Amino acid sequence: MAETNETVSSSYHEKFNRGKTWSGLELKEFYNPADTAGIDYHRSIGDPGQYPYTRGIHRNMYRGRLWTRREVCGLGSARETNERLKFLLREGAGGPNVIVDVPGELGIDADHPRAAGEVGVTGVSINSLADITVLTEGIPLDKTSFSLIVAAPSAEVMFSQYLVEAQRRGIDFRLLSGSIQNDPIHLRYCGFPPAAPLDVARKTAVDIIEYCTRYVPRWYTTTINLYDLRENGISAAQEIAFGFGIGLIYIDGAIERGLQIDDFIPRLSFYCSAHIDFFEEIAKLRAARRLWAKIMQERYGAKDPRSLQFRFAVHTAGCSLVPQQPLNNAIRIAYEALAAVLGGVQSLHCCSYDEPIALPTEQSHLLAIRTQQVLAYETGVAAVSDPLGGSYYIENLTDKIEEETLKIFKEIEDRGGMLEAINSGWIDQEMEKAALEEQQRIEKRDRLVVGVNVFRMPPEDATPSGVQRIPAQVEQKIIEDVEKLKKERHRPAWQQAIDNLKRHTEKGEKENLIPPVIECIKAGATVGEIMGVIRQAYGHPYDPLEAIQPPY
Amino acid sequence: MAKKIRVILSKIGLDGHDRGIKMLARMFREAGMEVVYMGLYQTPENVVRAAVQEDADVIGLSILSGEHLTLVPKVTALLKEQKLENEILLLVGGVIPREDVPAVKSHGVHEVFTAGSLVEEIVDYIHQWVNRRAKT
Repeated sequence: MAETNETVSSSYHEKFNRGKTWSGLELKEFYNPADTAGIDYHRSIGDPGQYPYTRGIHRNMYRGRLWTRREVCGLGSARETNERLKFLLREGAGGPNVIVDVPGELGIDADHPRAAGEVGVTGVSINSLADITVLTEGIPLDKTSFSLIVAAPSAEVMFSQYLVEAQRRGIDFRLLSGSIQNDPIHLRYCGFPPAAPLDVARKTAVDIIEYCTRYVPRWYTTTINLYDLRENGISAAQEIAFGFGIGLIYIDGAIERGLQIDDFIPRLSFYCSAHIDFFEEIAKLRAARRLWAKIMQERYGAKDPRSLQFRFAVHTAGCSLVPQQPLNNAIRIAYEALAAVLGGVQSLHCCSYDEPIALPTEQSHLLAIRTQQVLAYETGVAAVSDPLGGSYYIENLTDKIEEETLKIFKEIEDRGGMLEAINSGWIDQEMEKAALEEQQRIEKRDRLVVGVNVFRMPPEDATPSGVQRIPAQVEQKIIEDVEKLKKERHRPAWQQAIDNLKRHTEKGEKENLIPPVIECIKAGATVGEIMGVIRQAYGHPYDPLEAIQPPY
Repeated sequence: MAKKIRVILSKIGLDGHDRGIKMLARMFREAGMEVVYMGLYQTPENVVRAAVQEDADVIGLSILSGEHLTLVPKVTALLKEQKLENEILLLVGGVIPREDVPAVKSHGVHEVFTAGSLVEEIVDYIHQWVNRRAKT
């Protein structure tokens, strides 16, 4: 009892002792008109739906269309994932949002000797056309916006599988809508460097952009992933600067293929983080929107308003969640989701509160959707576009984050451009430094995290809604299916398709590989095999883990 | 002067989440330990071989993608084969459900530190274990 009383009295006199955002921007006690005096409303803010789109890309924003409520989903085989997708769709998710497993991102098959124990664990296992067929069963591809989360070069294969499945069902490519992440360069910052050598990464990414621009016009070709970069611990401004830097590499590659800027930019989108520092995240999203419009107009001469509009999804920050007292995470997620909506998000994924503990259960997945639905239908925050626009504080903070981002752009330029900043390891160093500093602040209690370094409690014995498990038989079945396919397919047709793909790879970087990849898929070739051919064409090993030999 | 504590840190399996373990490598060094971080995609065999070669006091494995119950037993089996289970402190960190901790430990893991652990607590644990081992 004595201890409780002491806690109450010490918190009564407690002061807020932080004068900076979590990204380190200095904050004043309050803001007034002097802090926004230099801002020309029409030039640098503008109404929602007007250049430079600081206040949002649509005039009527959510009255025109609510944000898409998507929940990332991928577990076990295509069969299990298809069932969970249908559950989420029935419960009001706006569209399927499928993530592939680790072997899939690496571009190896489930029967790879090193894949044991990892197949279908953190995403769905996709190896051949049959998997995409089962994954999309019962989902009308011409009436659904389907999101495929595969960032790696293997996106080229999985997207082609999706196209073949559409073809099989007699659906015109022009009716397909959805998105594929297709941001292989960023993947090196997610622990996948051997899966995405820079040359292969740039090539496969640009292939998808080019192919869709010509034949699948309603598809969002690339979701430039700022979120995963941010999860490494970097600041809000670094999130924009590094993410845009990677995005511009693809854009320059697409221009080299002869695409016109306004023909493909409207089909790029972004994936941002919404971290726990509420106003900083809102200001970041506003700053990113303004910067994108300026870069597209000033540097690339884009004219189509859709090229200037920064369209983005948000993933609430997984790294802000902790396993201690896990239900608290539901609160963190709700604040982050609110920041995303106040920042003008187009599509939102809320983490599940058990994310730092295990894969989401059906129950925790459901709570994540309900979090979005309470925001959308009950709180009223969707009624007015950019409700914080004009706030002395928010406008000032938006400017500061933009300035900070421009400084980092300059530094990248001084280092010889983004490719060089990546190759030299500078980006890695910046991330490692940021992660270390954040942990040091937590250790010293300069940064408080409830349940971690303040208000600790004895650990729970169990996770509130249990733990989602992938039964071992599921993996076994996936592996057997791949082995069976490899044994039973028509070997000469397969060999011919592989040889044909090889010939196309020899025609140089500008030769789009999607048509020959489609032929390989029809002949029963798998993700690992097709990626192996492409990797070898660029002088890399057939197997990124260098454990197996090519089967051809 | 006491010999520095030698630590092998490694990712294991195909999980690529390495923010935490790279940060730990830096903080263990700052705490006066000698650290070898083996990097991504290591096999149980690689890790145990390195621990033997480096005469390690501690092995720290990082697993965030749910493979802990598949991969950890392989490491502990190798350590037992070499009769090192009492010589080397084996720690596992990452995304590990609390209900799995007893199972992970039952294979011979000394302690599990999940994401959200304080580094100072891990460092204390290592020092205490090394001191206890010195007395036996």
